[in-house]
Amino acid sequence: MTQWLVLSVIFVPWLGALLLALSSDRAPRLQHLVASAFAVVTGLLSLCLLPLVTERTVVSVAAGSVFGNFTFVPDGLSVFLTVIAAVIGCLAVIFSIDYMHGEAQLGRYYSLVLLFIGSMTGMVLTSSMLLLFFFWEMMAFCSYALISFYNDDPKAVAGGMKALIMTQTGGVGLLAGALIAYSFLGTYDIQTFLAYAHRLPEFALSIMAFGFLIGAAAKSAQVPFHTWLPGAMEAPTPISALIHAATMVNAGVYLLARFYPAFAAVPGWTTAVVVVGVLSAFLGAVMAITASDLKRTLAYSTISQLGYMVYAVGVGAVYASQFHLMSHAVFKALLFLGAGAVIHAVGTRDMRQMGGLGQKMPFVRNVFIIGTLALAGLPFVNGFWSKELVLEEGLAHGPLWAYILMVLGAGLTAAYSLRMVYMVFYGTAKKEHHVHDAPAAMRTALAPLALGTLVTWLLAGWLSELLTGSLPYHLSHLHAPGTVELIVDVLTAPATLVAIVVIAAGLLAWWYRDLFASLSKAAALPAAMAGADFGFEWLNRVIVGSTLLAGSVLRLTQTGHLSWNALGIAGGAIAVLGLLVWGS
Amino acid sequence: MYYSNAILTLVVTPLLSAPLIYLIGRLFMRTGRAGAASNASQLASLLALAGTWKAYIDIVLQFNRSSATALRYITGSVPLQVDGLSILLAGLALTLGTLVVIYSRMYMRNEDGEEKYYAMLVAMTGAMIGLACAADLFNLWVWFEVMALTSYLLVAFYREQKASLEAGVKYLVQSAAGSSLVLLAIALVFMETGTLDLYRIGASAVGTPLMLAAGALFVAGFGVKAALVPFHTWLPDAHAQAPSGISAMLSGVVIEAGLVALLRAISALMAVTLSWGVLLMIFGALNMLVGNLIALKQTQVKRLLAFSSLSHVGYMVMGLGIALHAGTAAGATGGVFHLINHGLMKGLAFLAVGALLYALHIAKGSHNPLTISDLAGAAKRYPLATLALSIAVLGLGGLPPLAGFMSKWQILVAGVQANNRLIFYLVIFAALNSVLSLGYYAPIVNAVYRQKPSAAVLNGSSLPLSMQVPMVLLLLAVVVLGLWPGLVQWLTDPAGNAIMATFGGY
Repeated sequence: MTQWLVLSVIFVPWLGALLLALSSDRAPRLQHLVASAFAVVTGLLSLCLLPLVTERTVVSVAAGSVFGNFTFVPDGLSVFLTVIAAVIGCLAVIFSIDYMHGEAQLGRYYSLVLLFIGSMTGMVLTSSMLLLFFFWEMMAFCSYALISFYNDDPKAVAGGMKALIMTQTGGVGLLAGALIAYSFLGTYDIQTFLAYAHRLPEFALSIMAFGFLIGAAAKSAQVPFHTWLPGAMEAPTPISALIHAATMVNAGVYLLARFYPAFAAVPGWTTAVVVVGVLSAFLGAVMAITASDLKRTLAYSTISQLGYMVYAVGVGAVYASQFHLMSHAVFKALLFLGAGAVIHAVGTRDMRQMGGLGQKMPFVRNVFIIGTLALAGLPFVNGFWSKELVLEEGLAHGPLWAYILMVLGAGLTAAYSLRMVYMVFYGTAKKEHHVHDAPAAMRTALAPLALGTLVTWLLAGWLSELLTGSLPYHLSHLHAPGTVELIVDVLTAPATLVAIVVIAAGLLAWWYRDLFASLSKAAALPAAMAGADFGFEWLNRVIVGSTLLAGSVLRLTQTGHLSWNALGIAGGAIAVLGLLVWGS
Repeated sequence: MYYSNAILTLVVTPLLSAPLIYLIGRLFMRTGRAGAASNASQLASLLALAGTWKAYIDIVLQFNRSSATALRYITGSVPLQVDGLSILLAGLALTLGTLVVIYSRMYMRNEDGEEKYYAMLVAMTGAMIGLACAADLFNLWVWFEVMALTSYLLVAFYREQKASLEAGVKYLVQSAAGSSLVLLAIALVFMETGTLDLYRIGASAVGTPLMLAAGALFVAGFGVKAALVPFHTWLPDAHAQAPSGISAMLSGVVIEAGLVALLRAISALMAVTLSWGVLLMIFGALNMLVGNLIALKQTQVKRLLAFSSLSHVGYMVMGLGIALHAGTAAGATGGVFHLINHGLMKGLAFLAVGALLYALHIAKGSHNPLTISDLAGAAKRYPLATLALSIAVLGLGGLPPLAGFMSKWQILVAGVQANNRLIFYLVIFAALNSVLSLGYYAPIVNAVYRQKPSAAVLNGSSLPLSMQVPMVLLLLAVVVLGLWPGLVQWLTDPAGNAIMATFGGY
């Protein structure tokens, strides 16, 4: 039973993907219907897995030779993320019915979305590192193809390519790690690895640990690999919500959390994770406050919030990272889909062109504000509890400088959240827009997410049971409280008070921003730096530019002249002879 | 013994059929009915290949997979052997050969000299099978030359086209230069050891200066055909100018046959030097880098695919080099697995590009090259061909769940298992190259799924069924192997073991 359920949450969406890929674009209504049906069924199947959580391997297929066994283990962590991927995937597909209404190539769109959902569930459910990488790369492909969905737009093509190349480059770290594990242990099984990681030589384990960190940072858009995520905002908005906010970008956090017990003891690793998390959280927030594109603001905020989760793993708070992951997945999906409703209505992503939309689209405004409260970490929505828990754990187990930056980041988060809501929904309208509030399918997707933002923190105790019950190797690293315990814990912690004060300061600072006008000159430099992505963008361009230049230079060797070609053969033969003599 | 007949049939059928195919084509041409000649010669080719398939299947059933020893059969003074590697190469040549014959039905229709095309195609397939089964240096060279001769004529098939002739001449001159180096090397080996039998040379080979020179000449000579950098310069022209079915054969199996010939020759000289493994790994790294970087700047699709073949040969030789250096079969198995997968994926890519080239240019009587911008928006009119092209290039780029991912994985596993720091760096280098290759594969996919079609697509003609069937078969194979790599283990494991056995039986 369990094994069929596990396989079906992977293969049911893939079957849907296949059908939609073969479907005719002349029947868009049918395509919407089939895609939604498959997404809903996948969501329901994932929920059925919840009571069946186990640490046992339920599916194992021998793949032969060096491919090991293809195994799947639906433990707490896996099933938790499966549910997030499948349920939010289902809502994003429903949202697409309105958002993608009248678009061409719906078959390709839906088939890639469903392919993605199946790959994500596969990625978290498998316990083979080969398959982990396999699904990891499939997600990268789906992400790329959907970012570039509007292939006629050069920006979309460039964004997709950038996402693909950067996440794949990081993926090499994951690949190297998986290969090392196999070459020492003779298996790709993650549980076996967690049990026997100490048997690996120290250098091998540290290459693995840092390789996985690189892979995770690239996938979760963490500094210095974060630059692909803003470019990914060229994707249709439901895709930004699903892949680039709520699910795929969590894969890096998942990877770190999953392997934390094995890598925690590697010298310097936890510090590196903390540094990556803090830099991303802080720089992401700074960039968000200067951005004027609604989706890019949200993208920077995703980088920043993922930084909180990475930071949590770095200080050893695996539970807090997953708790914040749950909150973030829900409220960020809400924010993105809300933004999608706005963008769909006004036809621009530039917040400077918006303003005063709140009266015309009250439903969207209301749910968006709920999402913003959670993003800012205001009581008592889900983002508040999880962010406070992360900060509290950070203060208790992590370095102080990191904590200070994280709290400042929380203040900035509050400021840009308020700025975003104000620029979009309040103030005076910059332009006459004939806008309408969200239509039915969009509301169907937004309402549950808004509700979730208000209440998912009540699931804290349930989440701890889910995780502690089936993750034997994580037990000593899971400080998982019950719900009541969490409430008391957070409310009485001094860290909470500090954070609330800073968040309030952030809100006030933006509200009374005119008072700081004299400071704006001083802020010009950091703002310019943030606008230039702190030089990381430049670094990317240098790497790409020099690669292309190398290609152009090498092309000169393809002269097309026979005499040069013959010289190549002769020269090559002499070089080969030299090498053979050297070896004899 | 029963299998000896099968070996003989396998090697001889396609070669003997080739002139018959030509004659049948000419005879039917006399009838004057349109298409009669091409139908007749195509049908005759399929019959010849069916006979070859029958013999091939007989041998596969006879072949003891667990043992590394080859089936040997001597007819007159020609020794033949069938080992795992022969079976693999012969199988790939037959598979692609058959699919290309089917595919060429409409592609080559109305071309002058169609009956020669089919005759040469079947002869080339036969030459590769013979090469795979050769057991001595002289016959290896003879088969190699037959393969080269048939392929010159096919590369320069459009003899009215200047570009095609230029490509043919370059190919001819460089390939002949390589052949003469090989011949010189054979002479040196014979002078030193007094035998040409691969097994006996291996027993008596030592590192004398002349044997070292022979080794270098083998590498350079066969390296021209196997497209090792810097011997590769003929390849982009030849692969781009040949009829697309032939491009599929050249890229998918002919250069790999060159690689197999290279392996056979140097396996006899294994004891001469310790640096075979290192040499192959260096060629691997060079091929990957040069192929990928130059491909990045290509705008013609067939040239781009031709350069990408360089990098894929790089993966194969890297796997083989790891195997020779570390003394384990894993790298060799991965290398030959990639050889199969590359044959299928690159075959598919060229057939798909060929189909689009046919629809957009050739059917209009134009011999313009197909550029990436021509492909814009092709998906709407040609869903199958563009899907096939996308799957093929993404598979070549190593994305799961496609075949290329699994074989690259197997090569990289072998590299890490070698437990050597430099080889580990090579693994990382290879993986990064795979990422780099997406930099030119992905834009092709982006182009075909654009919504605004190019002028060429708007005026394109429709695709015949005979082109679609081979594409569907290859497409399915690429996906299935990506999901279930164990499916061809019966081919790759014996081939890997056979390579290790010929290199001194580790």
